[in-house]
Amino acid sequence: MAKLEFKDISHSYEYSFGTVKDRNKAKWVINDLNVTWEDGTANALLGPSGGGKTTMLNIISGLLRPTEGQVLIDGRDVTDLSPQQRKIAQVFQFPVAYDTMDVYNNLAFPLRNSGYGQAKIDKKVRETSDLLDLDEYLSEPAGSLNEGEKQRISLGRGIIRDDIVAMLLDEPLTLIDPKLKNGLRRLLMRIQRELKLTMIYVTHDQHEALTFAQYVSILNEGTVVQSGTATELYENPKEPFVGFFIGSPGMNFVDCNLKGGVLDCKGFELNISHKLQEKGVESEGDMKLGIRPESIAVSKEQQEKTHPFEIQVIENFGHYYILTVEGCNSRLKVQVSSEMDVSKGEEIYLSFPADKLILFKEKKRIL
Amino acid sequence: MGIELKNVSKTFGRKKALDNVSLKIDDGEFVCFLGPSDAGKSVLLRVMAGLETLDEGRVYYDGEDVTDLTVRKRNIAMVYQDFINYPNLTVYENIASPLRVAKKYSKREIDKKVHEVAELLNINKILKQNPEEISGGQRQRTAIARAMVKGAKYIFLDEPLANLDYKLREEFRTQLKETFSNREGAFVYATADPIDAMALSSHTGYLYEGRLLQYGDIQEVYNYPRYSMVGKYFSNPTMNLIEGKLNRNDKTIDISGELKINVADVMDKLKKEDYIVGIRPKDIGFHEGENKVPIVGELSLSEIVGSETELHIDYQGNNIIVLEPEIVHYDYGTKIKIFVDTTRLFIFDKDDKTLVTKTGGD
Repeated sequence: MAKLEFKDISHSYEYSFGTVKDRNKAKWVINDLNVTWEDGTANALLGPSGGGKTTMLNIISGLLRPTEGQVLIDGRDVTDLSPQQRKIAQVFQFPVAYDTMDVYNNLAFPLRNSGYGQAKIDKKVRETSDLLDLDEYLSEPAGSLNEGEKQRISLGRGIIRDDIVAMLLDEPLTLIDPKLKNGLRRLLMRIQRELKLTMIYVTHDQHEALTFAQYVSILNEGTVVQSGTATELYENPKEPFVGFFIGSPGMNFVDCNLKGGVLDCKGFELNISHKLQEKGVESEGDMKLGIRPESIAVSKEQQEKTHPFEIQVIENFGHYYILTVEGCNSRLKVQVSSEMDVSKGEEIYLSFPADKLILFKEKKRIL
Repeated sequence: MGIELKNVSKTFGRKKALDNVSLKIDDGEFVCFLGPSDAGKSVLLRVMAGLETLDEGRVYYDGEDVTDLTVRKRNIAMVYQDFINYPNLTVYENIASPLRVAKKYSKREIDKKVHEVAELLNINKILKQNPEEISGGQRQRTAIARAMVKGAKYIFLDEPLANLDYKLREEFRTQLKETFSNREGAFVYATADPIDAMALSSHTGYLYEGRLLQYGDIQEVYNYPRYSMVGKYFSNPTMNLIEGKLNRNDKTIDISGELKINVADVMDKLKKEDYIVGIRPKDIGFHEGENKVPIVGELSLSEIVGSETELHIDYQGNNIIVLEPEIVHYDYGTKIKIFVDTTRLFIFDKDDKTLVTKTGGD
């Protein structure tokens, strides 16, 4: 297993193909990325489609040569090496297995190709099938298994070689029946831990990414907006996009102006001088206030420092409601317990706890 | 006023797709039919819409028998997942197409109607674009605008969110609910996702192998799931179902011979030996308290869903899901002590899976 690195990686299909000759006029799908995936860690690349996830994955595996920058494996430059030479295993959305071949031979296939001897092949197939709970199917044709089991074969074919340095998973659960997903997800996590694999998991699904990975990189419009653990991304988004993308529903944003410790939200004001002082923030001017639906306090009666909003939509999530409310020139989502009695059109009073407020200036977090 | 089905059955080959279904939908209701794939949800929608013939039973709109009326003669519209009728036409033309086909609207009337509905669904800024240039969520809204533009009284939506990623689903649900509250008639929606059903609907029905196991007001179904399958499915995350044996001496239901759940207040309703205890993940937590019994288990999986964490805890071979209302982290294999609130349990009959009683009253 190994550590993987991106050094100043940028990619433009147009510029690489030469269809656009001017560097500045070309469209760059990936911009100046510097990322490190540490040895033995479970990582995810998370972002909306069109954000550059697949391009990044193909650059790691070697299917695509980046226009600029270097790919390093354990510090060694592999930018010009083929996928075979890099020894990176890949699992895709569609299970890759030969339906008419039995499970044993499906697993043995990559080893035969690499010239392993029969005794060694047999030992590796037994180890791998044991790890993946496939041992009882070894003599069955792959075609007779369900999609979840077939995806386990793909996984097995990836990890069966001794010399692989990392494993890439491209939305491996997207097409799997919801009932089989949980088992497969657990299996993936167990294998990652037992074999201490360096894994990179690509998905647009925050649930998959945050559940699977220790470290998640949020990718948007060709850049890694933020990397961190699930808790870090949820509690400390560095940009509005992360606040919006992580959490369901995402963070609320209100355009505002900060002056003299008072946040003017164009409809209500919040005095945050105490918090600004505590954090040593001196910046003023136009900003974006971010607050999570679950951080807003809701009351049925007007109190000091509460602001009136009218309920527009009530969505029931069982143990809580998500209310879409309008008032004070803003439209917000707030979460309340389903034990609270609420009705559409009703006026409720919101307050915004100072310790839960996040401020962004020009898309960067300042508080 | 509304839709009524009386004893409707439909068979495909040897498979009963709908098995003696009767129900009533009133105008003003948003109804979600929920159930695993292949339970009969789509067929039910198609039968209501007139897209499918019946083997038995009758269908009524506003009290009038419409069983033999073709779909064209009914005032309805149908929306499928990620479905655009004319990929080469602009969003505007896609929405306008049912009006043009009807041949009774002037150009000005069409323009007015298209703009009204586009504004309602917040797609008025993309009317000139082609379907391939817009997002999945916008495409879905275009399909709904098209369904609404003729003023159809009943709109049937067959898993309209299935292909959208979760951020778009989130946004779309709110929009759909808001749109619905400003119109007449009813929305009838089929989905496999219990969250869709909870978030959107006023009424819900649970289908299982072609049978409508339960139908009613959403809160009522949530509070009184008639079968363990309904309770398990109609829950976010799924309800924990654990088998236990009644202990008459102690007035408890015993699980794995160790965990004793006090059922003294409902003893008179428990006549049998074997039960299934249903516990919602929200009713298990880390805090001790009155009427709470402890369980010690091992963490086997921690799933982060939205802004919450679902912890899967292995307790004596049972996988117990616990819901934490924030994003938390524990290492796998950690021994975890949790507390079950015994005043909020559902007790189901082990044999026929029906709800026998609940603890702790309402």
